[in-house]
Amino acid sequence: MSRQVTVSGVSLEIEEKGQGRPILFLHPGEGLQPNRPWLDRLAENHRVIAPHHPGFGGSVLPDWVGSVDDLAYLYLDLAAALKLENAVLVGNCFGGWVAAEMAVRNTARFAGLLLAAPLGIKVGGVLDRDITDMHAISRTEFMRRAWADPEKGAIDYTKLADAELAGIARGRETLAVFGWKPYMHNPRLKRWLHRIDIPTHLVWGEEDGIVSIAYGEAWKAEIRGATIETMPATGHYPHWEHPNSFAARVKTFTNRL
Amino acid sequence: MRTWYFSEMAYHPAWDKGLARGSLRVNFPSENLDPVEAGTLLNRYLDEFALCDEVGLDIMVNEHHSTATCMTISVPMALSVIARETKKARLLSLGNPIANRPDPVRVAEEMAWLDCLSGGRIEMGLVKGAPYEIAPANSNPGRLMRRYWEAHDLIIKALSTTTGPFSWEGEFYQYRAVNIWPRPIQQPTPPIWMTGMSVDTGIAAAERGHVVGTLLSGGLAKPMYEAYRKRARELGWQAGPDRMAYAAIIGVGDTRAEGLRRANIIADYVRTAPVVFEPFTNPPGYNSVGANIAMLKAGPRAHRMVTDRNGVPIDHRTATVEQFMDTETVFAGTPDDVFNQLKAFNQRMGGVGHLLFFGQGGQLNHQDAKANIALFGKEVAPRLLELGAPEQAEAAE
Repeated sequence: MSRQVTVSGVSLEIEEKGQGRPILFLHPGEGLQPNRPWLDRLAENHRVIAPHHPGFGGSVLPDWVGSVDDLAYLYLDLAAALKLENAVLVGNCFGGWVAAEMAVRNTARFAGLLLAAPLGIKVGGVLDRDITDMHAISRTEFMRRAWADPEKGAIDYTKLADAELAGIARGRETLAVFGWKPYMHNPRLKRWLHRIDIPTHLVWGEEDGIVSIAYGEAWKAEIRGATIETMPATGHYPHWEHPNSFAARVKTFTNRL
Repeated sequence: MRTWYFSEMAYHPAWDKGLARGSLRVNFPSENLDPVEAGTLLNRYLDEFALCDEVGLDIMVNEHHSTATCMTISVPMALSVIARETKKARLLSLGNPIANRPDPVRVAEEMAWLDCLSGGRIEMGLVKGAPYEIAPANSNPGRLMRRYWEAHDLIIKALSTTTGPFSWEGEFYQYRAVNIWPRPIQQPTPPIWMTGMSVDTGIAAAERGHVVGTLLSGGLAKPMYEAYRKRARELGWQAGPDRMAYAAIIGVGDTRAEGLRRANIIADYVRTAPVVFEPFTNPPGYNSVGANIAMLKAGPRAHRMVTDRNGVPIDHRTATVEQFMDTETVFAGTPDDVFNQLKAFNQRMGGVGHLLFFGQGGQLNHQDAKANIALFGKEVAPRLLELGAPEQAEAAE
């Protein structure tokens, strides 16, 4: 199901599944994990196109790519290359940040934007941590904060093949390349969110310990007409933790576009 | 084999509290340090460095940040004091963690200034830095080595350019007028050192002719030295012992028991230094993909171990001084014992030209530290100077 596509000189591994109004799905910092059920659920109503970010999975991170700006332009080029029309742009966590950076630049190919617990903006003061420092807590603590039920997200790394582990290690370094400093945000992005001119919906897990619902409200305040809904018993990855109800919310949103 | 004394200038009075919290670095609050006591200790440690000059030893200084294991937060600051208090010793910065420094030109300026101040006695280590240095510096661990090499090239260019200014428009650093004053006495640059633990580091250092050093790394040293020598031969030159350095804890005494007692106290440093809160031990991108695969497979509770000569893993945190001696991270005993141990080590390694003498780890008191330095300087170091490349080792390669 995955295929390799070269866009702007960057070789991307893309997962594609289903039919209907296209969704361009941008994955979180923890990777795409296409074998989890979220992809099948979304594909029941949509043609889902989900690239692995450069440096993740089978996508190549060229030396010259190193900022979220680069990713935004790259995926705008991907949308053009795939001739997407009236598509829905969906991003979670780090992928939500990338989606927002795309949407402030150009929404011509998209009918709507759905952001699930996006990172990417600075809201509070210099001593406020809007985004949990995921690199200064233990893995156990990270899982506790990122999942309402950490068991659902547990991965036994000792049982994975080397190639898969290599992908995880490369993905972790890649996330650092893009988001280490300033930590997982662009200090100027908030000031440009007013440029987003398509219906925007925010989805937030009620037990998200990485970015709070108050942070989601700050997003909502900056985007004209944006709506927000929360998901109970859900952490930072709504599509992984509750794939059915996430897919249902995506469907409800796309139906109103 | 030349001997370079070094001490991390530890703040050992806080170690017990740090151990109880499970971290001596990064997230160990500074309320656990009494600044007046810190000042007393710093003065004492600097006295110990000054003594080295009197007994004919060279001197090495390193730096760490946010830690009870090392109060030297700036190599150039420490070397400034030491340069004024010494006359003969060569002064090794090992080193500047250049991938964590926002301003490489400043590094070049400081090294040049020190070289002038010391009359050309500076040797300049350009190091990657330990993984737990990433958080205090908030340095991006992604693409760390690309940034390292750009800083490395810029520092060398800044030190060796006498017809500046020049401009630099790189991936990580941009300058429009680099023209450092003063420039170093030693041209084109003071001797350059790197540190590492891997074959790749050995190869990278050989390609530039730098000295390569490794710290307390036991069995990892030899493959790195061999990779260096092999790469040098491929490039048409013979790498002698003066390109290889090794850091070890050393305790000497008038009796074997006294030497081991001193080494055992210094070794508390090694038992303590690796105790760091988990997330700071392996920032993403710091280690290679291969090393990360191994760590993911080993599971979350695994920690770094060195192996002894027979490949048996030794736990840093609980090892006895004898076990450390088996890993060649500690040499200890009478001057004769230590000389013979180092002679055998030099043989096994195929010739190591620089011994980095870790002679004060924190808990060793001033009297013992002075005695350790003085006895080593008088009885061991002069004999080590005569050790060259072992013929047998060369033939075996």
